[in-house]
Amino acid sequence: MDRAEVGALVQSAVDGDAAAWKALVEGLSPLVWSVVRAHRLSDADGHEVYQTVWFRFAQHLGRIREPDKAGSWLASTARNECLKVIRGLTRLLPTDDPQVLDRVSEDRTPEQSLIDAEEQAAEAERIRLLWQELEELGDRCRQLLRVLMASPPPSYVEVSVALGIAVGSIGPLRQRCLRRLRARLDARGAA
Amino acid sequence: MSEDGFPTAEDGFDDTGSGTGSGIGSGTDSDADAGADAEALDALEEELRQTAAVLDPLPAGLLQLAMDAYALHDLDARIAELTFDSLVDAVPVRGVDDPPRMLTFQAGGLTVDVEVNGDGLLGQVLPPQPAHIEVLGGPGAVRPLSADGMGRFAGDTPPAGPFALRLRTGGEVIVTEWLRA
Repeated sequence: MDRAEVGALVQSAVDGDAAAWKALVEGLSPLVWSVVRAHRLSDADGHEVYQTVWFRFAQHLGRIREPDKAGSWLASTARNECLKVIRGLTRLLPTDDPQVLDRVSEDRTPEQSLIDAEEQAAEAERIRLLWQELEELGDRCRQLLRVLMASPPPSYVEVSVALGIAVGSIGPLRQRCLRRLRARLDARGAA
Repeated sequence: MSEDGFPTAEDGFDDTGSGTGSGIGSGTDSDADAGADAEALDALEEELRQTAAVLDPLPAGLLQLAMDAYALHDLDARIAELTFDSLVDAVPVRGVDDPPRMLTFQAGGLTVDVEVNGDGLLGQVLPPQPAHIEVLGGPGAVRPLSADGMGRFAGDTPPAGPFALRLRTGGEVIVTEWLRA
């Protein structure tokens, strides 16, 4: 989302405009969700972090010093809450359970219902393969790409605070990670 | 992992195959090739974006909860900021499997100490004073706590998920920062 637009929406929401709040949630929820998913929390923990971030944002709404940077505020808060969850689970590492993949492909794929034409089946296969290669890309690349994948795309400043990576490093790291993913897809003959 | 947690090649940002780690596969790329490559990477990123929308979308229920959170916007309440969280600030104690979560919130001269454990929640308002205290669990979820005249309070259910405390004391309303228990 455009920063000037975010700043104006925050101001309107502070002034009592519920539609402005709705627009903020619609525009920035995908970013918060991506940050949560990038940190590989369990569903339950991830859902709670997501809620905590939005509850706290609502609470601080009129006191946010730079309303045009609300996206960064949300991304940074999401990161901190995710790291707290991970700290609290010192004995239980974030899941590398291969069943997570199975679950994604079996329970959660709306495209399953679409597989009634060959073309769609090929598309579904491509999507599944992309996701699988992403999962196997290595934690840091997977994490960076998962945040970049938010729709609308986040700014590099938002990515920076979401992951604790310097803004200037994001472009080069993005290139390396995408190239790496492409190489893996090429190797599978799926480019 | 480097000191600041910044990824090094071992952490998974390394290229496979190219071996140079420079990020650009070779020195022979012309500007045109580089431009085409950048476009191809943009296209791959966009494809990932569509993939996430299909395979890992934001659940509709969560979107709705964020919409409803607007009700938590309260300009009249003061926010008590979290100034200590044992999850972050305390040194772990060896041999203690499930230590209680200790939290301290501050709003001006008022301090609220809270301990959350498996049995519930205990707290103290400082300086000691009578307060009417509630646990908020989200938009519309409110549960009163028993509090005494010295600012001590207790609840026999640990908060599940995000929570905040709302205190009414001396004609003022104070809400602690939202936290995940």
